[in-house]
Amino acid sequence: MNLSRPDRLSRLDALAAAYVLGTLPGRARKRLAHVAQTDTVVAATIRAWEQRLAPFSEAAPPITPPPRLWRLIALRLGLAQVRPPAPGPWWTRVAIWRGFALASFTAAMALSVLFLMQKPELPGAPIVVVMAGPDAKPALIATMMRGDRTMTVKVVGGAPVPTDRSLELWMLPDGAAPRSLGLVPATGVGRVTLPAPPDVALTGVPALAVSLEQAGGSPTGAPQGPVLYSGKVERFY
Amino acid sequence: MATPATSDKSARLGALLSRIALGDQAAFGEFYEVTSAHLYGVALRILRDPPAAEEILQEAYVNVWHHAGSYEVAKSQPLTWLSSIVRNRCLDQLRRRELDTVTLTSDDDDAPAHDLPSDAMTPVEMLVAGAEARSVRDCVDTLDAGPKQAIALAFYQGLSHSELAVHLHEPLGTVKSWVRRGLERLKNCLDRAGYARNE
Repeated sequence: MNLSRPDRLSRLDALAAAYVLGTLPGRARKRLAHVAQTDTVVAATIRAWEQRLAPFSEAAPPITPPPRLWRLIALRLGLAQVRPPAPGPWWTRVAIWRGFALASFTAAMALSVLFLMQKPELPGAPIVVVMAGPDAKPALIATMMRGDRTMTVKVVGGAPVPTDRSLELWMLPDGAAPRSLGLVPATGVGRVTLPAPPDVALTGVPALAVSLEQAGGSPTGAPQGPVLYSGKVERFY
Repeated sequence: MATPATSDKSARLGALLSRIALGDQAAFGEFYEVTSAHLYGVALRILRDPPAAEEILQEAYVNVWHHAGSYEVAKSQPLTWLSSIVRNRCLDQLRRRELDTVTLTSDDDDAPAHDLPSDAMTPVEMLVAGAEARSVRDCVDTLDAGPKQAIALAFYQGLSHSELAVHLHEPLGTVKSWVRRGLERLKNCLDRAGYARNE
C-alpha cells in the first residue's frame, strides 16, 4: 500500500466502506467495482470491509429457499442429481417411498397403454416394474416371467446418461441394504440375470431402483451415486 | 478472532469448494444445503421479491459450480466470499430498479418485507446479534442510535441514502454523515481491538 498518500487511502477506504454497505450511489458503485477488477489495492480495501462486516451478515436469520430452487440449478447445470443429499443413504429416505404413490398411478397408466399396444417384447409379462424419476414419467420398464431368471429392462425415457457413467439396477429389500442386479443400458433394451427365479428373488423386495454410478458400476457393492428412478414391483397373476 | 464454530464451518466449506472444482456433484449438493438458507435470507431481505432473490441465487450457484476453482482460500472465508457476491448482485439490481421506477411515495417503506417471517428480527437487532465477539459488541455499542439504525438498514435491507433519509425522517445530509462517520468509528474500533476475521 502506498502510505505516502494517506488522503487518497482514506478516501478509498470511505468509498470501499460505502460500496460494501451498499450506500455508494449507482454510478460510483459501478466505477469502483470496475476498478477493483484490476487494482489490487482497491480490491483488498473492499475485501477488508467485507471481512469487517461479515459477522453482521452471518447473524441475520436464514430463510430456507423453496425446493424448486435446487431443482432449477441442477437442471441448468445438467446435474444428474435432482435433490440435494439428505442425511443417510438415499434408500432410507421417506421421499422415495412416498414418491411411489404418484409413480404408481403413472405406472398404471403406462402399463395399460403398454398392454393395449401389445408390445411384442412384453408378451403379457406377469411381473412388471415401471421405474420413474421425481417427475413420475416412466424411464425404465423391467419385465419378468415367472420361473425365468432373465429380467428384461427397456429404457423408455429419462435423462441422457453421460458417457463416463453407468446406470445400475438395485433391488430394495424391506429393511435391508440395496442389492445390485447389475448394469442396465443407457438406451434400448438390456437383460439382467436374477440370482433366482423372480418369485424367490423378489420375495420381500417391494421395489427396484436405478442409480447413476461411475462407468462399470459402483465399486463397493453399495450405491454410490444418486438414485434416478425407482418403481414398485407389480405382480399380475 | 473467528470463533471455533466459524472456522470449522469455513474449513468445511473450503473443502467442499475444492471438491466442487473437480466436478463433485455430491459436494455441490452439500454446499447448497449448508449455504442456501443464509444466502436466500441475505437476498430476500434486500430485494423483498422471492422470484428475484431465487434468480440471484441461481446465478450465484451456477457460478460456484463453474468457478469454484477461482475461490482463493487465503483471501476470504467461503461464506463471506459468496455472501458478498450475492449482496453485490442484489444491490446492483436494486439500484437498477430504482433508476427504472421513479419512487412517488414512500408508503411501503414500513411494510413488512414480502415472505419474511412476521417475528423477524429488526436490522438493528441483527447488527447487535452479529456482535457475538465481545470486541465487536463493544464497537457496535459505541455507535449512537441514529447511525446504528442507518447502518443496519443499509446493510440488511439495501436502503440508499435517500431512502434512509425518508425512513428515518432526517435530512439527507445528516443520514449521509451518520453512515460515513458510523462506519469510520466501527472500523477504528474493530481495528484497534485487533478484530480481524482472516488474519
